[in-house]
Formats: sequence, C-alpha cells, structure tokens
Amino acid sequence: MDMVSMGLLAAMGALATIAGASEDLESDVGSQSNPNSQVQLAAQVGHTHRIYNKAISGEPPSNALYAALAAVVASVLMSDAYGMNAFFSIAVGALVAAIFNGILSMTSYMGRNASQARFNQYIYLDVLRSHTTTIMAHAYITAFCVVTISYIMTATWLPIQHPFPLPVIAFTWGIALGAIGSSTGDVHYGAEREFQQYPFGAGLNAANSGDIVTKAEAGLRSSIDNAWFCAKFGGPVTGLAFGLIVFLDNWRTTIFDPATQGWYAIGTGVLIVVLLNVYNRILEVRSKKRYGPYPEYVGDIKV
Amino acid sequence: MSTFDASTLIYVIQIVIGGLLVGIGVHFVPVGGAPAAMAQATGVGTGTVQLATGSGLTGLISAGLMMSVTDNILLIVLSGAVGAMIMMDVTMIVGNWVYIYGVGVPPVAAKVDYDPITKDPQPPYISPGTVGHGVPTVSFVSGTIGGLMGGAGGSLIYYALMNINGVSGLSAFFAIGIFVVNAVIASYNIQGTIEGFHDPKFKRIPRAVKACFIATLIIGIFAVLIHGGA
Repeated sequence: MDMVSMGLLAAMGALATIAGASEDLESDVGSQSNPNSQVQLAAQVGHTHRIYNKAISGEPPSNALYAALAAVVASVLMSDAYGMNAFFSIAVGALVAAIFNGILSMTSYMGRNASQARFNQYIYLDVLRSHTTTIMAHAYITAFCVVTISYIMTATWLPIQHPFPLPVIAFTWGIALGAIGSSTGDVHYGAEREFQQYPFGAGLNAANSGDIVTKAEAGLRSSIDNAWFCAKFGGPVTGLAFGLIVFLDNWRTTIFDPATQGWYAIGTGVLIVVLLNVYNRILEVRSKKRYGPYPEYVGDIKV
Repeated sequence: MSTFDASTLIYVIQIVIGGLLVGIGVHFVPVGGAPAAMAQATGVGTGTVQLATGSGLTGLISAGLMMSVTDNILLIVLSGAVGAMIMMDVTMIVGNWVYIYGVGVPPVAAKVDYDPITKDPQPPYISPGTVGHGVPTVSFVSGTIGGLMGGAGGSLIYYALMNINGVSGLSAFFAIGIFVVNAVIASYNIQGTIEGFHDPKFKRIPRAVKACFIATLIIGIFAVLIHGGA
C-alpha cells in the first residue's frame, strides 16, 4: 500500500458516492424502475398526473448502456488516433451518453402517455422540456463518475492495473450501480413520496395501488418535486451504498497486495460480511423495538 | 484441425458448475420485485436478475483483478464470492435503512410465522394489506449465501474462459452473458419474488438445476469452441 493508491481509492469512493446519488435522482425525476408501476397505474385508476413516465428498461441495463457508451467514446478519443486528454475524453463520452438518455427518455415519455390517452392522460410538453434536461444532467454526472472510476482502475500510468478494458469495466460498474439504485433509493420514492397522503410507518396497502399523490403544496406535483424530496434521503443513501461497495471492495486489495497477500484480502472481505450481518440484526431488533407491532394486528402469534 | 482433449472437457465442466452455482444462488437472493419498492413485499425492491447480476458482476471485477496476479483457482473464485457478498450485503443494509428510516417499517418476513434463525415472531409487524417488508435476518443471511454462490459461479466461468483464450475483456463479457442466462432461468422459476431459503418457492430448485444444467452445457460447449478451445 502506498499513499497514491490510498488517495486514488478515496477518490474512487467519492466519485462512486456522487454517481450513486445522481443515478437515484435521475431515476426519480424520470420515474424509472419499479415505482413506475404505480405511475403507470395511476391514470388507469382515475388519477391523471404530471409525473414524468419513462421506463426505458430496468435500471441496471440502462445504466450499463450509458456507462459503456461513455467509456467507448472516451477510449476512442483517448486512443493514439485522436490522442485526447483523458479528462476531456470522459467528458465528451458522458455527453454522448446523456444525449442517448435524452432520446430514450423523450420517446419513452411520449409513447407511454400517448398509449394512455383513453384514460385522459395528457402529454405535457412543458414537463417534457423541463424534466428531460434535468434527467440528462443527472445521467451526465452518473456516466462521468462511473467512467472516471473505471479509468482510475485501468489507466496504465496509475497503480491499480485491472485487466478488463475500460468499456467492459464501465459496463460492469453500470450494472452494479443500476442494481443498487433500484434496490435502495427507489424505495424512498416508491413507498414514501408517491404515497405521502397515507400515514408514515406502513407499506402500501395493496388496495391503494395506483393512488399516487398528484397535487403539490401549491399546484400540481411534478417529478422535479419528487427529486427534491428524494434528494434528502433516498439519493444520498444510494450514493453511500455504491461508495461503500466501490471503497470496501477495492480497499481489501489496496491494503493487501493480491499477488502476495491474497488470502488476507479475502479474510478481510469475509470479516466485513460478518460485521454487516451482525449490524443488520442490530438494525432489525432496534426498529422492531422502536416501532412495535401494528395496532390493527389480530392474530394468535404474540410479540 | 482441432481436437477435443481432456482439458476442453474440464473447461466445459467448470462452466457448467459455474452456471449451476449462479442458478441456485439466485434462489437465495431475497427480492420482492416491484411490490417491494412500495414496501408491499419482503425483500429488496428490485428484480431477481438485476440484483443477482449486480452482485455477481461486482464479484467478477474482484476475480478479474485477482486472476491478473495469480493462477490459484481457489483464490480467484473466493475473491469473486467475497466481492459479490460485500455488494449484496451493503445493498441490503442500505435498503433496510430506507425501509426503517425512510418509510418507517421494520424488516419482517411474511412467509413464516417465526424467523427460522432468530425465532422472532413475524406477523405482528406486517403492516396491513402487505406481505411483509424489508430484509429480516433470515433473508439477509440467505442473500449473503446467494451472493457467495453467484460470485463464485461467475468467477469460475471467467476462470475457465480465461484459461482458454487469455483475453480478459472477451472472457469477462462471455462470463457476464452466461451469468445472465442462468439468472434469468432461475428468475422464471421463482416468478419474480422470493424471500430466501425459508420461502416455499425455494423447493422448486430441482427444476432450475435441470434447466440451468442443459442451458449452460450448450452455451459452455459453444463458448469453449468460439474461444478457441478443442
């Protein structure tokens, strides 16, 4: 372990944290991923809305696409044929990814809302104009950070020498990032923000499916309002999750040289896993103690 | 003219074992699909394939780094398994943060009355109109096992392919492909949601083993041939 490797590792962790947060907020503004099922259902059960509705695909494939696209463009620009500076190459790559994201988002929004015309769901052009650029901006930040992490892991002049080519490693991190964003931050949007009119502290009752909040504090709720809310908790914790994964996974192989101390690196990983299992148990016990059983519960099994 | 020697057979067997590990491992991963994203079902609020692939590929990154410095199969496979476990555990922990602090629901399993590991009663903590929420202890442990198997399986496939062609990018991409095929087959078997090894759906594993075996055997043979083996 040397100071340069440790510094790069810290930079990777920080970049991953930003990437995680922006990825989650991008999916919240666009209402991608699983909570989109409720937005899709809302118009059908009589709640027309001004929420952006794009479900291009699951988050992992779409983020893998953006990251790989940015990485391919960046590696071409960095190659001997063009010889562009790495920083600017990655910036141009991320821009191309953001443009692709914008095209997919717009066609997705128009297609989905047009297909719901029979439920009186409109296509709002002002929503399209204001939200698509916001989504693209978040996608740009995500793609830039993911490709930079991948570049740090693969650049020949830096200490970490990962064997995968830049686009493959960006693709892989893109899949992982999408999976994390879909698993963590989106729950805050789907279970809390979409159903804020119901009391805090319960999951969505299946009978209330599709009854999403369509009115804001003033006027009608838009998806940018949703991103504002999720930026307080869902986004940052998603960032923390991806940051922790990138940091912990690479930290093991930074403090222990995999060539000579591979078993120590694995042992450290196992220790981290055991600690996380213990921590989850503590979380579960504390939450059950704090919240207690549901008052409506009628059953034979006692607490 | 190429010949079909013993080492080729070993590579195909390694790929098949890797595929089976992935297929079985996916059954351990607690996912609630779209309902879980609304705190309506126990498990992580995403798709089976998505989470399993996310963790398996994180493991592949660890395994790839390890394979660039060593040939020890055990080190490579375990490195992948540990990487996948870390990804899976951190995701489940942060998912639980969102359920507990963001939505205000305790983690609880709905398919059993008592947690098989901690013996805690479950039904009193299930909010009305839902089938559980969050990742309770039994699902967390199950998810960790799922990460281990998925990461190990992906790494084993990568190891076999790397021994054939020695090109890491190509091997990684083929490994990702074989991984996803098995994850999707397993996902059909559990129909999108499963709480972990205590879920009744877990008993469907033999069917997935058969399907994954056939699929991986075919892909394995072609992968070895395409990559220049035999």
